[in-house]
Amino acid sequence: MKALTANRLSDGEVVFWKAGTWVERFAEAELFSVDEPAILAEGQAKSQPTVVVDAYLIDLIESEGLWAPVSYRERIRALGPTNHIHHGKQAEGGDAILALQHAHGAARSSGRVNLIKRK
Amino acid sequence: MYQYDSLDRDILADRSAEFRDQVARRLSGEITEEHFKPVRLMNGLYLQLHAYMLRVAIPYGSMNAKQLHKLADIGRRYDKGYGHFTTRTNLQFHWIKLADTPDILDELASIDMHAIQTSGNCIRNVTADPYAGATADEIDDPRVWSEAIRQWSSLHPEFSFLPRKFKIAITASAKDRTVAKAHDIGLMVRRARDGTLGFEVIVGGGMGRTPFIGPTIREFLPAHRLFSYLEAILRVYNRHGRRDNIYKARIKILVSALGREAFAREVEEEWSKVGEAGDLPDTEIARIRGAFSRKAFETLPAQSEVYDAAVSADPGFARFARNNLKPHKRQGYTIVEISLKGIGETPGDATSDQMDVVADLAERFGQDDVRVTHEQNLVLPHVKLDDAPEVYRALAAAGLGTPNINLISDIIACPGLDYCALANARAIIVAQDIARRFADQDRAEQVGELKIKISGCINACGHHHVGHIGILGVDKKGEEFYQLTLGGSGAEDAAIGKILGPALPLDRVTDAIDTLVDVYLRERQGDERFLDTYRRTGDAPFKEAVYAETH
Repeated sequence: MKALTANRLSDGEVVFWKAGTWVERFAEAELFSVDEPAILAEGQAKSQPTVVVDAYLIDLIESEGLWAPVSYRERIRALGPTNHIHHGKQAEGGDAILALQHAHGAARSSGRVNLIKRK
Repeated sequence: MYQYDSLDRDILADRSAEFRDQVARRLSGEITEEHFKPVRLMNGLYLQLHAYMLRVAIPYGSMNAKQLHKLADIGRRYDKGYGHFTTRTNLQFHWIKLADTPDILDELASIDMHAIQTSGNCIRNVTADPYAGATADEIDDPRVWSEAIRQWSSLHPEFSFLPRKFKIAITASAKDRTVAKAHDIGLMVRRARDGTLGFEVIVGGGMGRTPFIGPTIREFLPAHRLFSYLEAILRVYNRHGRRDNIYKARIKILVSALGREAFAREVEEEWSKVGEAGDLPDTEIARIRGAFSRKAFETLPAQSEVYDAAVSADPGFARFARNNLKPHKRQGYTIVEISLKGIGETPGDATSDQMDVVADLAERFGQDDVRVTHEQNLVLPHVKLDDAPEVYRALAAAGLGTPNINLISDIIACPGLDYCALANARAIIVAQDIARRFADQDRAEQVGELKIKISGCINACGHHHVGHIGILGVDKKGEEFYQLTLGGSGAEDAAIGKILGPALPLDRVTDAIDTLVDVYLRERQGDERFLDTYRRTGDAPFKEAVYAETH
């Protein structure tokens, strides 16, 4: 399972792809169970240079019946900094945030690594 | 402190207007991210994990109350009510919006501040002794030379596109509080036997992926020849520095590859070509010096009854005085170090309210002078002993009275993976956990001077290479691990720490630090610091204890 993420150009906010638009909550992100539409969405995201910066796909794992980024780095992006738990998206709380906080996957963010390689 | 003139202000106004236009063109799509990124970086604006980060230059870590109030105001209006002081003595705002940045740069310009040359392959903010002008053991005021270098290096056309970034440190005391030997150039003020003022010139130190303690390439450079000599060093670097490989582009690699003698010869040869035309006139140095010699110190008795009474009556103040007050060159005065390492807090963070408190105290009791240390603390360099108890009470009420300067919980930590796009692992929570473990101030004082420095990646913004105990976050298949180094020092006895053994998982780090401290207390002889004991015993007892418990 994958999701598509980026930072919004105007304010740097972490955003996720949802059917052609961008949402701030990971819980609302469009999930891709097969590669082809994910890659297609990534291509569409790259054609929005005045909306987002550095779009890339992230891998997901299951956590407490919900999905969470497998990479720790991507979970921090989806939640906020762990030293200020009232900052970032985690401040909102709720089951979706808890599921992200409890996720235990460990892997590099392959989408970001590919992005760096392409640069 | 140095006051901007109309030329300085015109430059900032132009630069700010230029960036406003560039941001507008980026947002409209007129220029691409590829074109815009180098432009925003030249204005100190990075894109981090959660938002943009703006790095504001605090020249040689020195500012006045009005400037600190404005930084507090910016933190409140454009960030989340705080800022983060860094090992480069700058201030970073971590929650900045691109669209707000031109307004923020205007706000900074209104108090003679900016974010220029806080990124990019140019000469960065000079590091100077935070006790400058206040400590008794300095030969000259390093701020004079730091300010001259700031003016000389700002927008210098020849040195704006160096092979890599370039950092200069200046210290004028026997006690080095700048990590001078781990900078691209370290300048140590010296006085010759005939009284001539000059510098020992150290080149090619640095941390990062390939750490070096820089070698001395000139034992004594007459002070009036400083700028031609700096020009010669930078020209040699510009000519021979590796532009083909980012990992080998710093001057330390060039100095190491050529060898100290060969590099020094190249510099001397270039210096002879530059000649005295490359030096600043003495009148210009005198003009700058004038800006730093206006302190109105009173003639005071060496002892203060108010201070002595407070030490006797208030154990909290007594402990603060032991650890955070340092000797001043004038009797009846003291240097106040303000710890930004509250137990369990983020090292280097100060809320806007805290910044306002420090600025107010600087105005009321500190001759309008505030410093930032590379160890991520603040300093009020000129406080009367009579006023020290009141200053302490105000600091303590604002959560700034932590009496731990140079102790085990006075930890340097970079923002790490909680914020930084380059990091592999978190650094802040490691510092917080260690500080909590050693929250007992009696125990911390018993342990004594122990400098822990933590970096979230090999770029070493947290100076882990020169920590008595260094902690480097590494990524092992996506998991946070931490490599310990022992025996580093960023002081006058500078040294690069040695890796102790295999990296440890996050949940083992604080226990390992506890074990290292136990071994030190067991092995300690006399007044030895942790570093002294380590140097005497070597790493064997420490390694044995940490890894015996791990396996």
